[in-house]
Amino acid sequence: MVFPIAGVEVDPFLLALIGFGVGVMGGFFGVGGGFIAGPLMFWAGVPMNFVVGTDLAHMTGKSIVAARRHRALGNVDLRLGVLMMVGTIPGVEIGAQIIERLKVMGDVDRVLGMAYVVILTVIGIFTAWEAMRALQIRRRTRLPVDEVLGIPSAVRRSRILRIPPLISLPTSGVAEISIWTILLVGLITGVLAGTLGVGGGFLRMPLLVYVLGVPTHTAVGTDLFEIVISAGFGTISHALKGNVDVIIALTMQTGAAIGAQIGALGTRYVTGPTIRLAFSFLPLVAAVMVLLRLQG
Amino acid sequence: MEEHGTAPRRQDPSLRPLLRSLGLELLFYAPLVTAYFALVLHFGREPIQRLYESGRASYAYLSLALIVGQAVLLEILTSWLLRRIGLRH
Repeated sequence: MVFPIAGVEVDPFLLALIGFGVGVMGGFFGVGGGFIAGPLMFWAGVPMNFVVGTDLAHMTGKSIVAARRHRALGNVDLRLGVLMMVGTIPGVEIGAQIIERLKVMGDVDRVLGMAYVVILTVIGIFTAWEAMRALQIRRRTRLPVDEVLGIPSAVRRSRILRIPPLISLPTSGVAEISIWTILLVGLITGVLAGTLGVGGGFLRMPLLVYVLGVPTHTAVGTDLFEIVISAGFGTISHALKGNVDVIIALTMQTGAAIGAQIGALGTRYVTGPTIRLAFSFLPLVAAVMVLLRLQG
Repeated sequence: MEEHGTAPRRQDPSLRPLLRSLGLELLFYAPLVTAYFALVLHFGREPIQRLYESGRASYAYLSLALIVGQAVLLEILTSWLLRRIGLRH
């Protein structure tokens, strides 16, 4: 089928299939999946300048479907999501400024690419280690809860993270947390997302769990809420620059919308540590993708 | 070790109700999503392309509206249909 805006001929079933796969993954893990969908779209024949914008467009729709499903399951903490967004927006701008500085210094792709690989590998290995530890603890102690962490969250360990004003996050089961901590997590995610040019779901989800102490299911749902806002904003921005083929996005979303329903519902039947263990492979896959791209 | 004390153990429903609920939902949702895409493709393809070439700002907002429309409206419609025929309360 010919997509006249992007000026390419691509098999629509292949696009819908890519959308379906990324949709299941997004609904289950609370990530946008751009790091996998992007290369697959390019491989399917979508021109590079349309890959990022069109991916963001389909990501918006898929994340709305998954976030709505998670909200119905009680997995979206709106208060946390909105507060984090306040930190994320300036963070993205700071990240963009860092890119501009690095461009002046030269070899920006290699520097950022290697930083990306290191960060993703550390996240992947740490999450896998912690999730396996949590699963062992759960098996040994037979705790009557499905959310066990292998390590205490940073908020519980550090007094520095309890600077007033403090608020509670009833949806996340967090009795007391500093607003500054939430803003800081949003800012860090924003800087990394802005610098690395990604949505940041696979950075935000572990930060929500390990720093803020948010249960995994709520982290997944809240992360999707963040993606709706950031990807929606990105869609408008890229569409204005002519980088979005909405027909390709809708083709992908036809598969993604169905996949996202399945993925989101799947979290009901899996415990937090199991989700985290499965999730730990995603950053490692993304790291390999980046390494391959760096090698040309 | 840390446990989230306020996060209660989730219900552990068996696989059958899950598959039934999901199957019913997809039975309505999947054709609606496909029909929406076919309608946009049939009636909107050329106007959308013209808008892309002549009015980029309108194209940007229309793109977002089409995406959000597919995501929100069709799910609402599916829920309404399921309630209407008594398969969801």
